[in-house]
Amino acid sequence: MNELGKVWQLIVPFGDYKMTFNLDAILMTWIVIAILLLFGFLAARKQKLMPGPIQILGELIVSQIYQLTEDALDKKTAPKYAPLICALFMFLVCCNWIGMFPHMHEPTKDLNTPLSLGLLGFVIAHYSGIRAKGIKAYLMEYCEPIFFMAPLNIIGELAKVVSISFRLFGNIMGGSIIILVVSYLTFSVLLPPFLNAFFVIFIGAIQAFVFTMLTLVYISVQVK
Amino acid sequence: MGLDIQTWVNVAAYIGGGIAMGFGAVGAAIGEGYTAAQASSAISRNGNAAGDVIKSMLVGQAIAESASIFALVVAMILLFTNFPATTPVMIPAVFGAGLSMGIGAIGAGIGAGFPAGSACIGMVRQPAVSNKLTTNMLIGSAVCQTPSIFALVVSFILLFTDFSARPISPTWAAVLGAGFASGLSAIGSGIGGGIVAKQSCDGIARQPAATTTITNIMLLGQAITQTPAILGLLVSFILIFKSYAASSALAPAMALLASGLCIGFGAIGPGIGEGVASSGGVAWVARNEKHTGEIVRLMLVGMAVAESTAIYSLVIALVLVFVV
Amino acid sequence: MAIEGADIIKAAAFLGAGLAMGLGAIGPGVGEGMAAAKACEAIGKNPKEAGLLTRTMLVGQAVSESTGIYSLVIALLLLFVV
Repeated sequence: MNELGKVWQLIVPFGDYKMTFNLDAILMTWIVIAILLLFGFLAARKQKLMPGPIQILGELIVSQIYQLTEDALDKKTAPKYAPLICALFMFLVCCNWIGMFPHMHEPTKDLNTPLSLGLLGFVIAHYSGIRAKGIKAYLMEYCEPIFFMAPLNIIGELAKVVSISFRLFGNIMGGSIIILVVSYLTFSVLLPPFLNAFFVIFIGAIQAFVFTMLTLVYISVQVK
Repeated sequence: MGLDIQTWVNVAAYIGGGIAMGFGAVGAAIGEGYTAAQASSAISRNGNAAGDVIKSMLVGQAIAESASIFALVVAMILLFTNFPATTPVMIPAVFGAGLSMGIGAIGAGIGAGFPAGSACIGMVRQPAVSNKLTTNMLIGSAVCQTPSIFALVVSFILLFTDFSARPISPTWAAVLGAGFASGLSAIGSGIGGGIVAKQSCDGIARQPAATTTITNIMLLGQAITQTPAILGLLVSFILIFKSYAASSALAPAMALLASGLCIGFGAIGPGIGEGVASSGGVAWVARNEKHTGEIVRLMLVGMAVAESTAIYSLVIALVLVFVV
Repeated sequence: MAIEGADIIKAAAFLGAGLAMGLGAIGPGVGEGMAAAKACEAIGKNPKEAGLLTRTMLVGQAVSESTGIYSLVIALLLLFVV
């Protein structure tokens, strides 16, 4: 029970400030990156006409997500963003599922991961919006319906980052805390495997998909 | 006056028991009434199917009643258990337990009534699929009960946790806030889950060939509709299990109480809204099964956005617990 | 125990913040859900326009969410400024 809210941190003094590293999240993110690199390597190493299981899985994910991107954007712009969306989805699924294994923690349980991914999507969406529409048309959008609504429109845009990142964080963190508390109350008998199946596998996959879709849709709203 | 802590604990337990059963009866009564109304209307359309309709009405009502039975159990425990008055925190704890279960049973009761009513109507329209309809109705209304089970868990934890090592203030506000958080947040998700299940029963009656798809999409929609209730459960776990520094000031206590109220009220709307969104998805998957992929994708995005105000409430609630 | 004025003000601000965000979240939640339900209906009727419908739904939801964002702003002001 004492694990609740404990974080493994490295604090480095940096002038007058302190830099805090959440080692758990960093380590787990590296593990996820390593898994994904390995998967990519194995899937693309020997491309055959009769693909092996890993190549099939890779092709399935990539083709599905390219199709998804094409539906949301159009044929011309989709290939530009599809790799980003594909990488985001695979990273998030791996991050959310890694908590299934004992002594592993989801990097998404640390607010820094979803928040930085949310900011990444935000910056990319707005940058491509400016590229597609021009800076004037982009800025004029904030002045709808009248110019003094601009501050609230800007807060509305920023709130999207808050909602997209806290949605992922809240679901994953909530799942892990609930698993922890219920396992503690039931002395880890019977219930935890089912809770793991629901919160980690099911909710993890759904939330990864929702995060990816929302990033994609935010880009498509800005681009068109 | 010579009122000791034991007296106050008993007072709180009796009031809490009254609230648990009083509020707990609201939802089930509304839900069962809705089911009965739909069943009567169904029988009036086709008297031959009366036997099947009445059977499924009774089964549906029995499930809708389970939230209320949880409330009865908690009320009985509150009335007949002699709670040890080791600390004054027991007073808000037993009261919060009643509050959590009472308010938490409203949504599940109302929600579980919807699919049962819709199944009765569907049975008259398509008597051949009444078995599929009953199965789907049972699954749907059983999932509706999830938020009320969360509320039951929280009220048991509140009743049987030993708070004697905790500082009186602000723990009293934390346990009260936990009761509000799990109770109020269960309303929206219960009703929302019911709306989804209602549309799926309707859809199966319209398009029996698509039963498997419809049931799967219903389960997906209901699972996501539970998110606001899960957020409420999360905040109430944090409120109960976090340790606080003792302080006699009012502000820290009020922050914890406000945190519970914030996520509790904030989860009602998104819970219902996500249910409505997902019911739209389920209804149109039934009508246009070929395009399930597109509809489900849009449904997920729409539900995620409808959830965002619950997320804002979660942010404010967490700020109230951890920052201020 | 003596309760000071500043303490009561802080307590009231916290309570106000919680209620502002909590109650303010109800309306937008239901409203956005209705928008999404209608969008699903529209896609069921006309699946070809999926991209356009998604964008339209999101713009509509963003507008109906604005009251929720006002609540968030007020709650944050109550917590950190007042």
